[in-house]
Amino acid sequence: MSGPVLEARNLSIRFGGLVAVAGVDLSLSAGEVLCIIGPNGAGKSTLFNLISGIYRPSSGSVHLDGRAITGQPAHRIAAAGIARTFQSSRLFTDLTLVDNVVIGMHCRTRSGVLDALLRPRHARAELEAAAERAGELLRLVSPDLYQRRHTLAGALPQADRRRLEIARALASEPKVIMLDEPSSGMDDRDTDALIEDIHMTMAERPGLSYIIIEHDMRLVAALPERVMVIDYGAKIAEGPFAEVRQDRRVQEAYLGQRAAHA
Amino acid sequence: MMTGTSKITLAARRASGADLAIIAGIELGGALLLGFFLLTDDWRLIVALLAVFAAGFALLQIRPAIEDRIVSAFHAARAQALGLGAVVVLVYPFMMQGSSYALHLLVIAQLYAVLALALNFQLGSANIPNFATGASYGIGAYCSALLAIDFGVSFWLTLPIAALVATGFGFVLGFPSMRTRETYLALVTIAFGIVVHQLLNNFSWTGGPNGLVGIPAPTIAGHSFTAPIELFGQRLPSQANFYYLAAALVALAIVCARRLHDSRVGLAWNALRCDELAARCQGINVVWYKMMAFAVDAFLAAFAGSVYAAYVSYISPDNFTFLVSVTIMTMVIVGGMDNTLGVIVGAFLLTLLPEKLRIFADYRLLFVSVIVILFLILRPQGLFPQRPRSYGGR
Repeated sequence: MSGPVLEARNLSIRFGGLVAVAGVDLSLSAGEVLCIIGPNGAGKSTLFNLISGIYRPSSGSVHLDGRAITGQPAHRIAAAGIARTFQSSRLFTDLTLVDNVVIGMHCRTRSGVLDALLRPRHARAELEAAAERAGELLRLVSPDLYQRRHTLAGALPQADRRRLEIARALASEPKVIMLDEPSSGMDDRDTDALIEDIHMTMAERPGLSYIIIEHDMRLVAALPERVMVIDYGAKIAEGPFAEVRQDRRVQEAYLGQRAAHA
Repeated sequence: MMTGTSKITLAARRASGADLAIIAGIELGGALLLGFFLLTDDWRLIVALLAVFAAGFALLQIRPAIEDRIVSAFHAARAQALGLGAVVVLVYPFMMQGSSYALHLLVIAQLYAVLALALNFQLGSANIPNFATGASYGIGAYCSALLAIDFGVSFWLTLPIAALVATGFGFVLGFPSMRTRETYLALVTIAFGIVVHQLLNNFSWTGGPNGLVGIPAPTIAGHSFTAPIELFGQRLPSQANFYYLAAALVALAIVCARRLHDSRVGLAWNALRCDELAARCQGINVVWYKMMAFAVDAFLAAFAGSVYAAYVSYISPDNFTFLVSVTIMTMVIVGGMDNTLGVIVGAFLLTLLPEKLRIFADYRLLFVSVIVILFLILRPQGLFPQRPRSYGGR
């Protein structure tokens, strides 16, 4: 494929006097992994919310496969092919794991109210097929989740919640998947398993592009080809991790001005 | 909590004798309990029956395994359970010893069951606090009655027309409601209910506070619904006609409820109930699905309204007040959100209780409230809580 899958130009949003994201450019090609790092409150999650349509940008544009999706409602953007997870996992806790993943397939299934009422066999068959695929997807992400697929999502431990959220995001067959701090609240062992999982899905779906917000530098070092650093809503550096970590402005952002010069 | 594997095997296994015994015991036992409750005038027996009813649920609460066993029996022998249930419903009027009062209560309870099932799409599935179900009920009743009185339209034709008109109003209510949520949404629906009530009260063509009188009863193949049914040498009071009509309506509502619940739509409603933002990010058009919940609610509620108008042949705005909506909401909450059976049981309980406690005269509403609160303490998730969906082997 030629050209970037996802491209954001000069993306900004203001909340009153606060500029949360200021003129960020972003470009992602098919199969690429981009990691976004930056201090707390730098505007990383806000950037995700802009791309996924939860906020409307004050200015700038977002294109997916060359098609403008700027300011479209979140459900359209999800249908267009951008899936995401949340910093604090937002599962449908009172539903089973299978139901969670089947809901992730919402925009890949069709039956509406009239289908459900008047063509129940058809609607039911579609849902059964979706549940079947959901089971496969859960098995792929983690055999443990597959075992527990008929239990409630609210009963899962933190690490499994994250896995389920990733499975739910994959269920929509996205072009771009955005993970918001996938390792938050995980210990080292869980993080290693998570890195493993992400590597596996990458191998499984080679065309899928990732944007990952991350604080855990081990994960950042292990995964992406490219790192983008955001501070005070603006991009301050971009490039391979090894280069970016040497950048003076990045060190200032993370360690403070004086420590960076010491 | 059942594990995944055992659940699949349970759903797929063949019905055993034990399953059939459990089903027969529960359905006939329930019917018997209800029958005694309807026919007795002795307050001691009423209290005793309520105690038995409560003890049953206490047992389920203490021993969840029993509940799982019962559910699995009904899964395994679904056809037999449905067949027996249908027979019980058909034969039931013959067991009422010709009591027109008992049949009247059953008609009203069934109509409320339809209303509660209608509201359940919103409150149970999607957690939309709609206090306007009573208004949709009224719109259906008035629409059907006006068509029948002013234009001589047959009842059977007014039924779908009234439902479509109310659905239209459901959309009208749903649209502004989408800009609000939770408490504010509840306020919008309360306002809608009051507006409808006031309009019915003040328009001259709706009969104002006097309402509409002389709504013709339906006829079917020359048999008027005001005439008693004579069958097998038995004579059933005229209420039996409406009993069967209301039962058919409940069956229709159950079919709608099951089909929608076990579909992509039901899942989408459940998703936005739990986390609206996450639902949007799964591609669910939250506004559209909420509107659909309003429409389905109004559609079914209007059916119940049409039947009610034809049944009592006289309606006034006071039949469709805010209080009616609150009662319907209580039925859903007490019965069990997003559980079809639970909502129906809740509707029966809350329709019959105030009637059977008339012996306590002025204190009856106090007793009703106390009993409702006790049941909620006993079963905090409702009498029949929501159960996880099952896939495959059904």
